[in-house]
Amino acid sequence: MASTAMPSLLMAQEAANGGRLIVASDSEPRNLNPAIVASNGVFFISSKVIEPLAEASFEGENGLEPRLAISWEGSDDGLSATFKLREGVTWHDGTPFTSADVAFSALEVWKPLQNLGRLVFENLEAVETPDDHTAIFKFSKPTPFQLIRNALPVVSSVVARHVFEGEADIAASPANNRLVGTGPFKFTEHRPGEYYRLERNEDYWAEGLPKVDEIIFRVLPDRAAAAGALEADEIQLAAFSQVPLTDLERISKVEGIKVYSKGYEGLTYQLAVDVNHRRKELADRKVRQAIAHAIDKDFVVKTIFLGYAAPSTGIIPKNAPEFYTADVPTYDFDLDKANALLDEAGYAKDANGIRFKLRLLPAPYFTETRQFGDYLRQALSSVGIDATVVNNDSAAHQKAVYTDHDFDLAVAPTVYRNDPAISTTILVKSGTPAGVPFSNQGGYVNPRIDQLIEKANETMDVAERTELFKEFQRLVAEDLPLINVAEWGFITVARDDVRNVSNNPRWAVSNWADIALTP
Amino acid sequence: MTVLKRLLRTPEGLAGTIMLCLLALAALLAPIIFPSDPLSIAGPALLPPFTDAAFPLGTDRLGRDVLAGLVHGARASLAVGIAAAAVAVIVGALVGTIAGFAGGLVDEALMRIVDAFQIVPSFLLALAFVSVTGASLTVVIIAIALGAWTGPARLARAEVLSIRERDYVAAARVIGMHPLEIALRQVLPHALPPVLALSSVIVASAVLIEAALSFLGLGDPNIVTWGSMIAEGRNVLRSAPFLSIIPGFGLVVTVLGVYLFSEGLSDAISARKTTN
Repeated sequence: MASTAMPSLLMAQEAANGGRLIVASDSEPRNLNPAIVASNGVFFISSKVIEPLAEASFEGENGLEPRLAISWEGSDDGLSATFKLREGVTWHDGTPFTSADVAFSALEVWKPLQNLGRLVFENLEAVETPDDHTAIFKFSKPTPFQLIRNALPVVSSVVARHVFEGEADIAASPANNRLVGTGPFKFTEHRPGEYYRLERNEDYWAEGLPKVDEIIFRVLPDRAAAAGALEADEIQLAAFSQVPLTDLERISKVEGIKVYSKGYEGLTYQLAVDVNHRRKELADRKVRQAIAHAIDKDFVVKTIFLGYAAPSTGIIPKNAPEFYTADVPTYDFDLDKANALLDEAGYAKDANGIRFKLRLLPAPYFTETRQFGDYLRQALSSVGIDATVVNNDSAAHQKAVYTDHDFDLAVAPTVYRNDPAISTTILVKSGTPAGVPFSNQGGYVNPRIDQLIEKANETMDVAERTELFKEFQRLVAEDLPLINVAEWGFITVARDDVRNVSNNPRWAVSNWADIALTP
Repeated sequence: MTVLKRLLRTPEGLAGTIMLCLLALAALLAPIIFPSDPLSIAGPALLPPFTDAAFPLGTDRLGRDVLAGLVHGARASLAVGIAAAAVAVIVGALVGTIAGFAGGLVDEALMRIVDAFQIVPSFLLALAFVSVTGASLTVVIIAIALGAWTGPARLARAEVLSIRERDYVAAARVIGMHPLEIALRQVLPHALPPVLALSSVIVASAVLIEAALSFLGLGDPNIVTWGSMIAEGRNVLRSAPFLSIIPGFGLVVTVLGVYLFSEGLSDAISARKTTN
């Protein structure tokens, strides 16, 4: 109770600066190091402590603004990339930040250990450090700078060399949960099941920042609890749709509370139906097209997402204007066409009106993915496909779909991260070993798509590479290795005394240096 | 006949019987009143109750008819309750009779097994069983029966211990009947009435366990149950509380009905005994 009474006192004393911000957090990641685990759950807390080389931005050139790097440039042959680093930056323990930290992070952490860095920095060979504030990345094979640039906000969290050097197993180091960074906030305390406490970094490199004295991430695993806590002013902010969509209409009318739907453009989630191509029926393109025709995307957007989503046309979302093309085959909601395609494919209805049976595994991660599973079962039954829903917990779902391939259809929330080569091409590319989550585990093999992905990875010219990805979208939409249904961002709900909310495309996972509380 | 009359003469017996008859009627007639799949999307989403004649109890998040769900849910709840209780009573009575009649080492061994099952709380046992084997209606029934058969087993054994000393059992032994035949044909039928009285309590707890499993997402997702309806409604508890309240009311009526019925039944039976 004392902890909830204190911030209002503090706020009354100090006008624009200072104060304690209490934020709802729905998970406590096992490894909190964003250089190793580049996922939104980790970034949400750690991005305030550990900074990337560059952050996403609404206004900046190429959608970026500088953080630890002040400029970046790729060579024309794609074999090197040069970063000029910010001067006068110190780690939270007082040690100066230098290019050696960047070289160490890139070679010892991002490339060998990080889930996304493994792909992006696959061909990284060395990092040269001619002086303390220059890092030159050397690649063994040409690597498109467009990809590196687009990936910077997600893959380039810099960790301190002096903290991790000499560790036998960096991934298991205790330092991963006692973060030392250069960011606007210092990691002070974690009480499991209760809260994370971050304290203002007095020596932050940006003048006048950060604004607030303290950020508390209060662990509230029950999504329904966040709305109540906001109304009671026990917390001031809930991001990542912690307040359920169904509560938004009601809570937006509550005095003193604001709802923001901006600030997630750089981390678009996609609702997709994963298809197991090992099933004879599903290996037939006509059947997949029929399923696409049987799904009413408008219903999904309006009823399941209550309008906080957009219908998809393909594998790259609309809010990725650099790559997106609308010029792809589309599949309108049309049951007659779906039935005709299924008849054509040779799967006639039997006496009970059933063509064939299959098993449907909805991902348990979001209410919306589970509800879409229920909807999809109905949609399939309206065209004579009898689907049995199999519910699993997170661990069992990952094992069943991505390791054992024990599914026919699965509902997957995939994430588009600024460049198709980061986490999107892997959804259809062949050759990924079993066990890699959110990758092509449906046994889909299409040499044309594989070649296209390969070619895009070797193409240095930005316009040409972009064009290749447009062709890629057309091929995927035509052959439907997976069916994209909708794409959504999250919603932030905050008390209206919280300022500077949702002001960049990855806002919830950015550093919050400028977040402020006004009385 | 006199038992039934006495049952209907007690207020709790009458109330319980009416409640159960209504539920049974709803469950039996569900496929006739609502022939389409209760999980199918029938209308606009989140329609409040009593606003549209086509959906008297409103619709849920996806536009599914709540009344259809409620009626079909009664079917699932009663089916699971009765099936689980039947399995539990049959297995329990058999094990109890054999243990009580055989005595000695067999008795010891069987009763230690019963102890082992009784140590684990029945809900935890069901939870563990379902999460290991995967959810389906049969699995849920077995899981519930697994935690419920020990009560009937103990009760049957206690009855058998007294019955086996009776004269007619001794007589059966003398004429050379096979021990198994004596146990099953002479002893078991007389040990059964108190075990059957226990069964209504088992039905009630089975209905609740099934609802709890569904609520936690461990029920069969392809059928409607009251527990899954409550779990679904929980997401919109603040804006559409009726989605949780209506199936919750169904549960209350069922469990209350079963308890009142068994209360009335035991009164009726004991009344008959005293007048005799």
